[in-house]
Amino acid sequence: MAVARTDLARSARPPWYRDVRVMRWVFQLVVVAVVVTVLWRLYSNATSNLRASGLPTGFDFLDRKSRFAIPGLQDSASFTVRQAFIAGYLNTLRVIVVGIPLCTVLGILIGIMRLSDNLLVRAAGTIYVELFRNVPALLWIFITYLVIILQNLPPLSDEVTPFGAFVISNRGVGIPWLNPDASVLTFIGFVGVAMVAVVGVSLWRRSVTDATGRPSRSGLYGIAAFVVVLAIGNFVAGNSLALDPAKVNGRQVGGGLNIFPPYLGLTIALVLYTASHVAEIVRGAIQAIERGQTEACQAIALTTFQRYRYVILPQAFRIMIPPLASQFLNLTKNSSLGVAISYVEIASIFQRVSNNATPALQALVVLMFFYLTLSLGISLIANLINRRLSLETRA
Amino acid sequence: MSDDFGAVSAQEEPLYGAPRLPEGGTGGVRAILRDNLFKDLKNSILTLLFGAVLAFIALRTLRYLFVTARWEIIYDGPLSFYMVGKDFGRTGISYEMLWAGIYVAMFTGGIAAGLGNRSAGPAMSLSARAAMIGGPLFGVVFILSMTRTITPTILTVGAVGFLLLGSQAARRVRGALKRRLGLIMLALVGLSFGFITGFDPSNIDLFGGLLLTLVVAFAGIGLSFPIGVVMALARRSSFPLIRPIAVGYIELIRGVPLISLLFMGQFAIGFMFPPGASIPGPIPRAIIMITLFSGAYVAEVVRGGLQSVPSGQIEAGKALGLSPLTITREIVLPQALRNSIPALIGQFISLLKDVSLLVIIGLQEMLGIIDVVLARREFTNQGYTPEAYAFVGAVYWTLCFSMSRAAQRLETRLGVGTR
Amino acid sequence: MTDETSNPTPSTASTPTSSGAVMSDATVAGGTGEPMITLTDVDKLFGDFQALKGINLVVGKQEVVVVIGPSGSGKSTLIRCVNHLEKHTSGTIIVDGTELTADIRNIQECRRECGMVFQSFNLFPHMTVLDNITLGPRRVRKKPKAQAEAEAMELLEMVKIPEQARKLPGALSGGQQQRVAIARALAMQPKVMLFDEPTSALDPEMVKEVLDAMQSLAESGMTMIVVTHEMGFARAVADRVAFMADGEIVEVGTPEHFFTNPQEERTKLFLSQIL
Repeated sequence: MAVARTDLARSARPPWYRDVRVMRWVFQLVVVAVVVTVLWRLYSNATSNLRASGLPTGFDFLDRKSRFAIPGLQDSASFTVRQAFIAGYLNTLRVIVVGIPLCTVLGILIGIMRLSDNLLVRAAGTIYVELFRNVPALLWIFITYLVIILQNLPPLSDEVTPFGAFVISNRGVGIPWLNPDASVLTFIGFVGVAMVAVVGVSLWRRSVTDATGRPSRSGLYGIAAFVVVLAIGNFVAGNSLALDPAKVNGRQVGGGLNIFPPYLGLTIALVLYTASHVAEIVRGAIQAIERGQTEACQAIALTTFQRYRYVILPQAFRIMIPPLASQFLNLTKNSSLGVAISYVEIASIFQRVSNNATPALQALVVLMFFYLTLSLGISLIANLINRRLSLETRA
Repeated sequence: MSDDFGAVSAQEEPLYGAPRLPEGGTGGVRAILRDNLFKDLKNSILTLLFGAVLAFIALRTLRYLFVTARWEIIYDGPLSFYMVGKDFGRTGISYEMLWAGIYVAMFTGGIAAGLGNRSAGPAMSLSARAAMIGGPLFGVVFILSMTRTITPTILTVGAVGFLLLGSQAARRVRGALKRRLGLIMLALVGLSFGFITGFDPSNIDLFGGLLLTLVVAFAGIGLSFPIGVVMALARRSSFPLIRPIAVGYIELIRGVPLISLLFMGQFAIGFMFPPGASIPGPIPRAIIMITLFSGAYVAEVVRGGLQSVPSGQIEAGKALGLSPLTITREIVLPQALRNSIPALIGQFISLLKDVSLLVIIGLQEMLGIIDVVLARREFTNQGYTPEAYAFVGAVYWTLCFSMSRAAQRLETRLGVGTR
Repeated sequence: MTDETSNPTPSTASTPTSSGAVMSDATVAGGTGEPMITLTDVDKLFGDFQALKGINLVVGKQEVVVVIGPSGSGKSTLIRCVNHLEKHTSGTIIVDGTELTADIRNIQECRRECGMVFQSFNLFPHMTVLDNITLGPRRVRKKPKAQAEAEAMELLEMVKIPEQARKLPGALSGGQQQRVAIARALAMQPKVMLFDEPTSALDPEMVKEVLDAMQSLAESGMTMIVVTHEMGFARAVADRVAFMADGEIVEVGTPEHFFTNPQEERTKLFLSQIL
């Protein structure tokens, strides 16, 4: 038997040029060889060209002096290129960290508006979405910054100071912020205690609901607990948790936190633009929930709010995560448009660095590396959430 | 008998005390208003609130458009700067030639639209139809109102005529001609490109304004299409050595912003040419980078299309004894590409918007032209910025909105996502 | 014409029907004789299409009415109107003394009294079986969690799947999902149960377990309206069978009368096609 089988296998074996298994690998190796050759040619061209122009081929330029100042950072003029890149990276993060939550909230609001049964509310949502997503983000950035912010903010001499704690001027918008004299550790400590209090209160409310069936209203109780704990903390710490009001300090905004107009313009424009895309995702996700789910809710007499809270939104959220993550990525990448209005984020740093006779090629590698870390980070978080929320089904 | 009970009692004693709802077709405008605007207290409050806000915005916008805005920045700008750039005269391309190119392009677009429209979709509601036509029409009228002579208006109407002509031609064409329609369209696209560039591609370096935007966007999507298809197939293939190459390319490009690629085109790509080779001008370099950029996104769109083809199709192909290559070419790709057309249009719209980034690398597409115009002596420092951006925004909006609506319509027609 | 003793189930047998005949009147309640659901001259229009034409039907307390008929005859629309998933165009619908008007309070009141079981289950896929069942009792009836869960477990015992309580619906078979859906509807302690083709989406081997659950529910005295194609169920469990065609109730009668001696031509034609 064994002999017969071997004979069969040998006789069935085709010549190598007809063998699927061999040809698959030949084909793949040829493709890989071509790709590697092309990339190698590009790399060797680049190194020889750089050498011919007398430019460095390594990454030593990162330790040279950057020789430009970054607004809002003292002694940034003496930064090395490396430090400048990191400062720019932090400025990029500032846009993302504020922009992502804001555009999500605004997008959800407008997405729900587009599903309203009121004609005018629906119309307002539609107008918003169609207006913002059909015009380039860069144009919105120019419009918010050049047209709205720069032309409407008063010069520092005529600044507007609402409540005596804010400063609105074309050299920056000052808002009350952490007192620089207060210990940051004390502040973080008390915020931490307040957070624990919020968690405790909502757990208590939930147990009350479970035991009696009364509504929990944990949001309301939670906010109250947060405020109460921080007020007590402020009293205990001798008023050092109170926020420092913004005021005009000579030729600039001092005290509090000064938000520079380019940051304001970039963030507002990106939030408005991205929210129009988020709104469409939210609307699509809610509409993707089968009608039967709504009918089942109606059949057990849930109210509209309860229907959204317990059934529709939890399911829509699962559908939304991948496209939402891609919009957050877009916002991250679009933050590079700050370069067009001189907001010193990381792409601006590249532009300034490359103007200073540094090898643009290597500086670009650094720039792309920073963006890849952001993109991978966001994708990773989205994948984790997605995996946790995915539903098991019978195959 | 129980079955005629209903009919009899309904005539004897019409019990219409129960809710009569407008679904029955009765009630007319009042019922529609009540159901959409004043159903209950909460609804009425929302109506008044949003009515006030919308009315305020509408009034302000209309007042700006017709009263306060100083549109001389556009029509004295001059308008031709926004449309073709400031150096277009130096190319020696006559406007007749340019319009001929536009007409050929519109005709080709008409053929494509006619082919897509062949399958009748669900009927559109009147309001949807009004929104689809009204918005772009308003935009076009606004843009044309900036022209000083009637000629551009007539030429624009002519362009729409060619569009309709093309769609009619697509419906009429039969036989051998129809089988080669793909090739014919490709030839027409080439002819159009030839007319527009005056049969000398190096003229592109002198293009600006809307013309530059459109040329870069069309070149980008056209050139990136083959890259995208190959990369999508590679990513879905079963070749363990090739898949990582496709994944690496797609994810690397999608992980970085376009501006970093454009910077690469301007500052770095020159270094990668062999020593002594002539390096192309800034616009072709930008087109190269935009093509690479768009390729990754097109690949993801096509991958989505490939995933939409049921695996039973491939199995049926195998059962017929077709080779893997034939299955891909004759069965999978045609269905996948058909399903990805709406998303491809969406990708083209994104690309069109992304071309605005060329201003950052100093090219004079529409946003870049604004700086040129605002720097002219008669306009400088007189607060003309809002009008200039409003106009460019209107041009973008008209283009993107009409295309996105067309894509939506096509999506429902093709039934993508419904099967 | 025979007397009422020919009715197969005791609940109807003990009740004198007005005609005293198996060929019964749609507007006279069966069951205990008190009306639970009263439909009078109900019309339903979808645009120009009239889905229901002058429906008159009274369902008595503890009565089981099975509605049969060809597809598109308005059976589902009829029971969907009863808990206002569809708004009827004209006529009156009274559920346990509450008239269904546009008043949201009346609608919610009627829905609390009517449990509904759908053809496609419509379980909430992101909640466990137990959470599916307790959602209504906890959020609408405001019951404490422990009590709601204990009652839910009793219901799961009744439909014979207590061991599935902590699973997500996606992990259950179709028949189990439909039994969860029945338990979910019962958890609201409704006075009426509406079944909209509960077995149509099931594999054949799972039909019986769902029908068994429904039968034991009927035997416990629940008022039920069941739209189904299961003629065996209609014969065994129904107090009355209503045949619908083209949006009208063509014929109403006891199962015995209905399957052995139908009066109307349309009924005969339908029965000859399916039996």
